[in-house]
Amino acid sequence: MLSDSSPSFAIVGSGPSGCYTAQFLRKAFPESRISIFDRLQTPFGLLKYGVAPDHIGTKAITLQFERLFERDAVSFVGGTEIGVDISLDELREEFEVVVLATGLSQDRPLTVPGGSLAGIYGSGRITRLFNDHPEESLEGVSVGERLVIIGHGNVAIDLIRLSLLGAEQLTDFGVDQGVANALSGPQIREIHVVGRSPVGAAKFDIAMINELAKIPDVKFLSDTAEVTDERSDASLRFEAICKLVRESNPDANRQVIFHFGWTPSLVGGDSKVQFIEFTGTDWMGKLRIHTDTIFSAIGFMEHHGSAIRRADLITNQTDLASGYLSEGLYCVGWFKRGPQGAIPANRTDAKLVSDRIVEDLNIHGKIREQHKQ
Amino acid sequence: MSKKVVILFGTESGNAEFAAEDMAVEITDREVEVVDMTDFEILDFSAENFYLVICSTHGEGDLPSGAVPMLQALESENPDLTGVEYAMFGLGDSSYENYSRGSEHIDKKLASLGATRVGEYGRHDAHTGTLPNKTAVEWTIRILEAKL
Repeated sequence: MLSDSSPSFAIVGSGPSGCYTAQFLRKAFPESRISIFDRLQTPFGLLKYGVAPDHIGTKAITLQFERLFERDAVSFVGGTEIGVDISLDELREEFEVVVLATGLSQDRPLTVPGGSLAGIYGSGRITRLFNDHPEESLEGVSVGERLVIIGHGNVAIDLIRLSLLGAEQLTDFGVDQGVANALSGPQIREIHVVGRSPVGAAKFDIAMINELAKIPDVKFLSDTAEVTDERSDASLRFEAICKLVRESNPDANRQVIFHFGWTPSLVGGDSKVQFIEFTGTDWMGKLRIHTDTIFSAIGFMEHHGSAIRRADLITNQTDLASGYLSEGLYCVGWFKRGPQGAIPANRTDAKLVSDRIVEDLNIHGKIREQHKQ
Repeated sequence: MSKKVVILFGTESGNAEFAAEDMAVEITDREVEVVDMTDFEILDFSAENFYLVICSTHGEGDLPSGAVPMLQALESENPDLTGVEYAMFGLGDSSYENYSRGSEHIDKKLASLGATRVGEYGRHDAHTGTLPNKTAVEWTIRILEAKL
C-alpha cells in the first residue's frame, strides 16, 4: 500500500515537459512510484520528433531523461494513449497525482482560400518526416524547384536549413534516405521565406540565422526595410539578416529570399498549388510567388482528434498559471501554456508545476494529520 | 585539510545541473555541496571553500537564465573575493558562434573581484551529441588531484 509520504504520480506525455516534471518530482519524492505514459512506443516526444535531426546538441537532452528510466526507477509505459487505451478517470483512480504533458502537435492550418490544396504541408509533418516518426509517410509529398516557407519562427529556419543541407549530410544525422532525397534534393534551387511581421518583430533566434551562413552554395536575399533604433532586439535581428545577405556568395546556384511584412491572402491552383499570394501586413502591396510546394510554419494547436482536451478539464478551482486543473490533476508545458517558448521555458514551467504539486501534497498531508488527531 | 567543494551550476536545459550532480558523486574524500546559481547567496563566497563552477551558454554567447541573477548580484554588490579559489567548466555548442562564451562572463567577473581561477579551463562541446557529464567528471578528478 502507498503511504502518505510517497504519493504516486502518472505523467501523460514523454516529451521535454513530461520528462522534466518527472525529474523534479523524483528529486522531491525519491521513494514514489512515477510512471510516464506515451501514445507512441518510443519516449521523448518533441525531442525525438520535433527537434531538427542536425541539432544533435539539443537532441542530447534525451540522455538526461534516459537516466530517469535506467536509474531513477521511473517507468515508461509506451503505446498507451490516455483517453483511448486507459481512461483519464481510471488513471486518476490508480495514481494520486496525474500530470498532463501531451503538448500541441497539430499544425495550425493555413486559413486562406486554397489553403488546403495539395502541395501545402504543415511544418510539424515535415519535421516529423525528417525525424522518422512512425505515423508519417512520404506518400503524396514532393518538393519542387521553388519552395515557399510561411513563417519566420525557429521552425521555419529549421526547414530552410534542412531543405538545403542535402541528402548526404542528412543521412549522416540519421535521416531516412528516401526522406532526405525527397525533401533535401538538388532540385531545390529557390526558397522564399515569408513572414507577417517586419524583421524586428520576427520570431527567429539570431543564432539560428547565423547558423544558416554555414550552408555552402547559397545566396541570401532580403526585402527588409531598414531598422534604425540602436541596440534593440529589433536592430539586432535586422543586423543578423543583413550580415547573412552581405556575406553570402552572390554567384551561388541556390538562393533563399526573406520577405518581411507579408500576410498570406490566397493560394491558387486547380488540384495542386500553382502560386501563393500575399498582401502587405500593414501597408499596400501584393506579392505573388509561383510554386508547387508550400511549407506552413505558422504555429501549433491541439490535435483535432486528441482524446484529452484542456478546455474539458477546466473547473472553477482551476489555477492554470500554476498548472492546477482540479484535485490531483495538473498540466504542464505547451498543453498548459499554449505553443510558446522553447525547451528551456518548458523546464522552467515543469519546475513551477512540480513546486505546486509538492505544496498541495504538503497541505493535503497536514490536513490528514490533523484529522487523525 | 581539504577545503569543502561547492559546485555552482548555471543552467538553461538542465545539462549543467545534471553534470554537476555526477561531479558531486565522484567527490568522496571531502565535503561537497551542489548549488544552483539562481539560489546562491553571493555573500556566501568564502576562501574556506573551493568552487567548481559549471555554466552553459545560451543564445548569442549569453549566460543561461539560471546564471543571470548571480552575475547581476556580483555586478551590483561588487564583493571582495580575494582569496576565493575556483575552477571553471564551460558548456557550449561549436556549431554556433560564441562557442562556450556563457561561462566566460562568470569567469571574468569572479576574476575582476579578486578571486583566483586554478587549473585548466574545462570545456564540453554539445556538437559531439554527448552530454557534458563524463568530460566534467574527468575534469573534476584532474582539478582536485592537482589541488592536493
